[in-house]
Amino acid sequence: MSGSPKRRHRRDGPRRIGRFGASVAGIFVAAALAVAAAQEPKTGELVRLTRDGHFKQRPAWSPDGKQLVFARHRGATIFLFVVAADGSSERRLTNRTDPEYDAVFDPEGGAIALAVDKTSPNQGDIDIHTGKSDGSDLKPLVVSEGKLSHEEWPAWSPDGKQLAFTSTRDGNQELYVCRRDGSERKRLTSDPAHDAHPCWSPDGKSVVFATGRWGNLELASVEVESLKITRLTESRGLDDYPAFSPDGKKLAFVSNRDGNLEIYVADADGANPRNATRHEAIDNFPAWTPDGRLTFVSNRDEGFDVYVKSKVD
Amino acid sequence: MLNVGKQRARTCGGVSRRELLRVGALAPLGLTLADLLRLPSAQGADRSAAGKSPARSVIFLWLWGGPSHLDTFDMKPKAPVEYRGPFAPVPTNVPGIEICELLPGLARRADKYAIIRSLNCASNDHGVAGTIGLTGSDTGAISLSGQVLPGQVKPAHGSIVSRVEGFEPGTPKFITMGGRLHQGKRAISGEGGGTVGSLHDPFRLDYDVEQGVKIPDITLVDGQTPDGLSSRRALLESLDRLAARFDRSATAGRLDQFYAQAFSLLTSTQARKMFDLDAESDALRRRYGRFRFGQCCLLARRLVEAGARFVQVNWSSHVEPVEDTGDGGWDMHDRNFQQMQDRHCWMLDQSLCALLDDLSERGLLGETIVVAVGEFGRTPKINDKAGRDHWQQCYSGLVAGGGIRGGQVIGSSDRRAEFPASRAVTPADLFRTVHDRMGIGTTSLTASGIAPQGEVIEELT
Repeated sequence: MSGSPKRRHRRDGPRRIGRFGASVAGIFVAAALAVAAAQEPKTGELVRLTRDGHFKQRPAWSPDGKQLVFARHRGATIFLFVVAADGSSERRLTNRTDPEYDAVFDPEGGAIALAVDKTSPNQGDIDIHTGKSDGSDLKPLVVSEGKLSHEEWPAWSPDGKQLAFTSTRDGNQELYVCRRDGSERKRLTSDPAHDAHPCWSPDGKSVVFATGRWGNLELASVEVESLKITRLTESRGLDDYPAFSPDGKKLAFVSNRDGNLEIYVADADGANPRNATRHEAIDNFPAWTPDGRLTFVSNRDEGFDVYVKSKVD
Repeated sequence: MLNVGKQRARTCGGVSRRELLRVGALAPLGLTLADLLRLPSAQGADRSAAGKSPARSVIFLWLWGGPSHLDTFDMKPKAPVEYRGPFAPVPTNVPGIEICELLPGLARRADKYAIIRSLNCASNDHGVAGTIGLTGSDTGAISLSGQVLPGQVKPAHGSIVSRVEGFEPGTPKFITMGGRLHQGKRAISGEGGGTVGSLHDPFRLDYDVEQGVKIPDITLVDGQTPDGLSSRRALLESLDRLAARFDRSATAGRLDQFYAQAFSLLTSTQARKMFDLDAESDALRRRYGRFRFGQCCLLARRLVEAGARFVQVNWSSHVEPVEDTGDGGWDMHDRNFQQMQDRHCWMLDQSLCALLDDLSERGLLGETIVVAVGEFGRTPKINDKAGRDHWQQCYSGLVAGGGIRGGQVIGSSDRRAEFPASRAVTPADLFRTVHDRMGIGTTSLTASGIAPQGEVIEELT
């Protein structure tokens, strides 16, 4: 590989530029570094990634942090879009014409799972498909069987071998897991209340979710093996959309316990919740960049857009 | 920004008047010029009741698709979990009244409005219940299957105001924001003048987050603009003369009035200012919400401020949610809780609170009735798709302003919100009350050829 053009260019480059050129280049490098430093998010700084203002839901990062996928509502459509880390280079994930949402990259970054909706006369028939991370080669993974049902909110296990999801296949919205090929489906919850929005614990042994079994929505975890349920939050408002930080030490979720929807960050067991957004606007759908920055959807400016907060205590 | 729709409409014989300016009230009904000329003639306005009432205007927020009453204004936290759902009630600023936690702004303003928890109607079909909600009657309603119920379609609530007040060119009494109402691909009936004639159909506007204010039902020849239209008035007048045979009839005179109204709204500086939301501060526009319904509510306030008597804001044109390629209606047969939590409830909360506050701050709330209601409620028992289906037996509505006594609940439902437990009322009762507050009583109605429907809900006034 020593003869590759790339390496040769690197080695020979400075000699070709010369001393004056090197000085100029040095100035440019210094300037570029200064600009980069200026663009480096300061602690607590908020960066707005999208600016169209249309309603968005469930932003999710690729494991290398270079791509963000989210669903956008526009007119009578809900389609998935992918943008670069700075919000540029937007493209649709698929070319489907029916509604699609809830896309998430797998931990290796090579695959993506999403919810695929149907319209009338199959209103309410939602399946989970998986495919390549660029949106190609999509195939059904979890589909309705016998009657219309929702299979949605897919969430990859930390090792990428399993998916958790919600389904109404048994007459009530419950949590399930399956292997990444759709096999070995297992029901995790059995309660007449509403269970939603699963999120794997960092060790892959349990799934945190929102449930209405204790009144309004609270967070709970269920151990995948034993199905033991543990209550994580007990607030006067609803708690929903749990999301573990990449290091597994923090649990972000949305709550209206202080009057409007804000993003809270708690310890991994739900203790010590702190309001991380503190804004009169609506903040929703928390997610994390791979390097630990909090991402969420907010209408604090013009319409609904995706924001990234550089540091969360 | 004012946006006027454009459409190709040319013939080999050149541009006809009808092609140059199509008045939207005709197109939605599929009526031609000739059809319009044959419509029943309108009688002169009866203003006998005007001036007696503190209510000058109405803003009617039509929550198309049917919001769940159990997840908004009539929560049942003690009902079994299969009924109550995952949301909790929160106290309001009126002791003893609780509403859903997803409506925190409205919870802080309960003293400003009354909740009716015992509404009911005769159909769980969007088309039929929609006609009942808009006219007080199911006559002429069109069901999902396309069946047309016997009888002529009665006038919409706003058309009654227009009829009693009398049509005035350039000053529309009844304005609707939104396109024609549909369930599926089938348009419903009851949005316009019905038995009092198309002259009292609503003048339609809409708002698009990307294009701004739209006048969707007036379509111009390709390339025309309102300014260009103004410069072509001479052409229009010459076309008028060609239509002299129609002009000789009194009915055609009314048609001219309708054209004149549309024309003046397109070309008058004053009218275009009325539609110009950019004249409002950015802060106020944000308070209403930078989404279609919010900006329509703001436009409604501008319209009543400018003298409009009845402004109807349609939440959506289709009952279906976006998940079913609708435009975000309340018909949540599935994913009810996710949609209510993520979108519909806070949208309603934000826009309605901003509207109530804005009207109040401008001294308009005392003379403007605000109504927010859909065509029915939703099944108290949650279905097997995390949704709620149609339920016409009992549902809720909100009424504020214009002399309506706030801080109270009218009627009640049973323990599962399935049926009225007390003081059952109908959409006809609700709008009989609204009209009564506007000074439109039995005398005015009958003098205008309109059979009164329903009974005034005295507790509201």
